Formats: sequence, C-alpha cells, structure tokens
Amino acid sequence: MAKKRDENASWALHILQAVAPLRAVAARSSVAISPPSDQDIIALLEAADRIELLKESNSSDDQHDLMNIFGAVRGYAEMLYEDRAQLHPAIVETLPNLLQALSSPDVALSKTATHAKTIIKPLATPKTNEPGVILAVDDMAENRELVSRLLSKYNHTVITAESGEEALELLGTLGVDVVLLDLMMPGIGGAEVLHRMKADEALRATPVVMISGRQDMDQIIACIQAGADDYLLKPFNPILLQARIAAGIERKRWHDREAQYRLQLERSEKFIRATFGRYLSDDIVNEILASPEGLELGGDLREVTIMMSDIRGFTTLSEHLPPQQVVRLLNRYLGRMTDIIIEHNGTIDEFLGDAVLAVFGAPRKTDDDADRAVRCAIAMQAAMTEINIANETDGLPCLKMALALNTGSVVAGNIGSERRAKYGFVGHAMNVTSRIEDAAGPDEILISDSTLKKLPNTYTVGERRTLSVKGIKEMVVVHQILGVSE
Amino acid sequence: MNQSHGVVLLVEDNALNRDMLVRRLTRAGVEIICAEDGDMALQKMREHKPALVLMDMNLPIKDGWTAVREARADADICNIPIIALTAHAMDQDRNTALDAGCDDYATKPIDFPALLSSIQRLIS
Repeated sequence: MAKKRDENASWALHILQAVAPLRAVAARSSVAISPPSDQDIIALLEAADRIELLKESNSSDDQHDLMNIFGAVRGYAEMLYEDRAQLHPAIVETLPNLLQALSSPDVALSKTATHAKTIIKPLATPKTNEPGVILAVDDMAENRELVSRLLSKYNHTVITAESGEEALELLGTLGVDVVLLDLMMPGIGGAEVLHRMKADEALRATPVVMISGRQDMDQIIACIQAGADDYLLKPFNPILLQARIAAGIERKRWHDREAQYRLQLERSEKFIRATFGRYLSDDIVNEILASPEGLELGGDLREVTIMMSDIRGFTTLSEHLPPQQVVRLLNRYLGRMTDIIIEHNGTIDEFLGDAVLAVFGAPRKTDDDADRAVRCAIAMQAAMTEINIANETDGLPCLKMALALNTGSVVAGNIGSERRAKYGFVGHAMNVTSRIEDAAGPDEILISDSTLKKLPNTYTVGERRTLSVKGIKEMVVVHQILGVSE
Repeated sequence: MNQSHGVVLLVEDNALNRDMLVRRLTRAGVEIICAEDGDMALQKMREHKPALVLMDMNLPIKDGWTAVREARADADICNIPIIALTAHAMDQDRNTALDAGCDDYATKPIDFPALLSSIQRLIS
C-alpha cells in the first residue's frame, strides 16, 4: 500500500510537471482560448490543483480519488488535443508531453533512470516564410485595408485596430506574432503603444514594425531605441513589407521556442530535484545536475558504509494502535531521521515500514564516509529522546531504535529494468549489515570491525561481540559505540 | 413506448471525473443525465428509463455491483444495458461485472473512442 502510494505520488508529480507549461501558457494574456476549450482548460487546471492536494495523502479513499482525477485530467487533455486545430499553437505544444505523462505511471518511473537530455527536445529550427498573425494598427481605414490585402496574399492572418487603445486591448487577448504600428495616430500614438508593450512582460517579445512618413525620422529613431524591431516608410513597398513581416515572425518563433526550451530545462531540473531530493542532500543533487552524465550513474563496485535502523517491537506495537496513530508515530520518527541522515550527507536508499536503509559513500565518495555514518548514528540515537518526549505528550508509546553500521563493497547504480529503476545497492555487505542489525539491542549502535578500522580515535567503543553470519565461515566482529570521547 | 431515446445515465461519485465525462459525452452528441450513488442510479433508471447506463462500480451508499443486481431483478428496468466502469484491470473483475449483469466493461482511465463505440453498439 505504501509502495503503491509512493508510486501514485511520483506519477502525480510527473503529471503536475507536465501540466505546468499548459498552466503558464494559458495564463499568458497574448494567448486567446475560445470556447469550449477555455472551459476544458479551467477544469483541467482545477483537477490538477486537486491532485496537488491529494498526492501525499495516506487515505485509501483519497488514493482512489486520485486515480479518478488522473482520468479526468486525461479526458480534458484528450479533448483539447482533439480540438488542437482551433487552439493557439503554444497550447498545442504542451499537450503531447501531458498526454504521455498521463498514459501510465511507468513513464514517470522510467524517467528517473534517463538522462535529462533525453527529456529535452533539441531546439528546432523555425521555418521561414511561415504565415503568422499580424496586428496592423492604423487610424486610416484605407491603410488598414491595403495592409490586409497585401499580407493576406502571403497567407498571414491580419487583424486590424484603428487606434492605440484598440491595439492594446487586442494585444491583451490575442496571440499576435508581429505588430505593424503607425506612428502618428490620435489618442494613444504609436510611440506610446510601443512603450506600453515593452513594459508588459507578456508582450515585450512581440516584434514591432513602426510605420511612418519620411518627415518623422527622429521619432522613428527614438522608437527603435525604445525597442521597435524595424520600420517602414509610407508609401511602402509590398515586397519590403512582406520581408519585414517574415523577419519579425521568425524572431517571434525563435523567441517562443527559446522560452519553451527554457521551460523544459527548468522542468527537468525540477523533476530531478523532486525525485532525488527526497533521498539525497542538496549538494549531491546539485552535483548530479552539474555532471555532464546527469543521471547515468552506471553500476560500479565501491566501498560504502551501510546503515540499517529498526524500531524494536514496532510490528507488535502497531497492532495495538489505530492506523492513524501508527502513521503519525512513523512520520514523526522517519521525518526526523531523514533530516539527520541528509545533514550527514547520507543517501537514503529505502524505508521499509519503520526500518531505514541508508548508505554513506555513494553516489559520492569521500574520505570520512564511515566517520560521518557513525556521527550520524549517534545523532539519530540522541534525537530519539526528543521524539519520545513528543510521543509521550501525544499519548503515543515510547520508541526504541537499534542501529547497525557496516563498511564493505557493494554494487551501486540504477538497478531494475528499463521500465522501472532506482538508485540502489546490492552485495554481501548488505546482508551482513542486516545480520548485525538483528543482533543490535534497543537504544544500541553496533558497528562492524571494518567500520571501526575506518574511524578516527574520537569514539568511545564499548563491548566487542562476535556473530555468525549465514553464508560466511568466519565470525563477524562487532563493537558497541557508546559516544564521542572528544 | 415510454422509454426515451438516446439518454444515457452516467453514475459516478467523483465530481471531477463526472464533469469531464459529461462534457466529453455531450460533445460527442450523447444526451446525458447523472447519478452519484447506487440508490440514486436505480431511482433515475426507474424514472427516466435511459437507453444505457454507464456505472462506476465503486460507489457510496450502494455500490455498483449491488445496484446492477437490483436493476436486473426489477422487471421495469432489467433490459437497460449497463456498461461497468471500474478501476481494476483484472480478468476476474471483468467476469464479476458480466456475472452481475453488466453488458460490457470499461477500465479506468477510460479509453474514450472504445467507450463511444461500445455505447453506440449497445444503444442501436
């Protein structure tokens, strides 16, 4: 159940990340969405908000709801895709990724094993002479008509505005590729429209071509300094007009693709952070992101210090408590332990009920792995005191933790299948650690001889014991750690 | 004949999913009415005599399985075709659905084109 929940949470996260670009595009004032798609998008985003709320829930009803809501999001996304011919291209671009994220949880899981670059599509080269949406702003009706006629020949969609006010209103609702802006107009003139566009985050990137008479050259220069992309003098040459428009559209397309690319990069980085951040400290996640191999942490044999912890008698304890209290008890305990392990740069491999499996020395190896692991173990045992004080206040039982540490060689890497892989560890040293953990008593820290050999002389070492371990002939020597001797 | 043509009853307790299906089916030209639990489903079946029922099996108050059995035992509505919508993809669920008296079966998340063709087949 917990595993299923984690799987759903990870799927939910993946879906939410795929919804984010759609949300961003839909919020852009330059992207107009006509009915019925506008309602579909609103409902889809509402459903996504609901996923956000439920994704971490432990209740099985909520988990069931979550599946239904995934279905609802998928339905809306499919409807939008069916209507893609009527939708703004920026919306359509977000849909394939979203549909893929919704198709199956396995996609989300297998992506954890894939390098970021496979998630990011390369920057496509925009086509030239592509038709676009042109807003022609001119107070003279005959000029608007002329521009419409000339540009329609090249299959552009021409929208006209007869004043600066109208132009700004239209820009707020339509996805415009290029603005043809007459300089001299009554009311809000061309220079002022330009100024307001450049001050508006959503409109800043839309190319503007100024149109004016020869006598207004000074003002044209001022407009170009203020951010206009180009200019045309009246009466204008039709070929020159088309050339300026084509260049403007191409600039706009590059800009849109660049924005999309940046969004994808951001999204994949966020995804890596969210997936690994739960198990690794920030600086290790940063290292993974910075390394050119990204997530291709191939399997390799390495020496690590393994930590296993367990609450003694937890199964019996949990049978006598209502489920909500068991979860509360576990969350408080595991939450605190996670923080301590991450503070000590340990990698949390797994929670198995009340048991924690963590590794020091992978994915990044340092000289003090064993030392850090033992310091971490001492800090964990020390934290049990405050956890138990809090438990007592809430009328919950007192917990006793046993901790085992062992240093040895393991194979570390993305283990699993193409469809489902996780960064994990295998090797005999893992089994030995588990055996030591069985032998550890409540409130005790037991470490193997191999870990002790790696430690500086700063610890108080207690009783020495020998254990027999299935599969190896020699006895395993273990030591109690009592504290730091300074 | 008091049975109205083409009206489909959708029984689904999850509001988000219900709204989505209503919108989608309406756009596909299906006239639709809704119920949110098993009791309401039986009541609406008796009242409206829909041409078809799409029934989520995991319902509050009275679950889908019980509602289907009761519908099949009621001479007034026993002939209305029912398509079960369930979250489980197991073969045994399929059999349970068919045993309970459902005419067809769709697994969530819904494959919409398949559901539409199933609806068309059962209504005609």
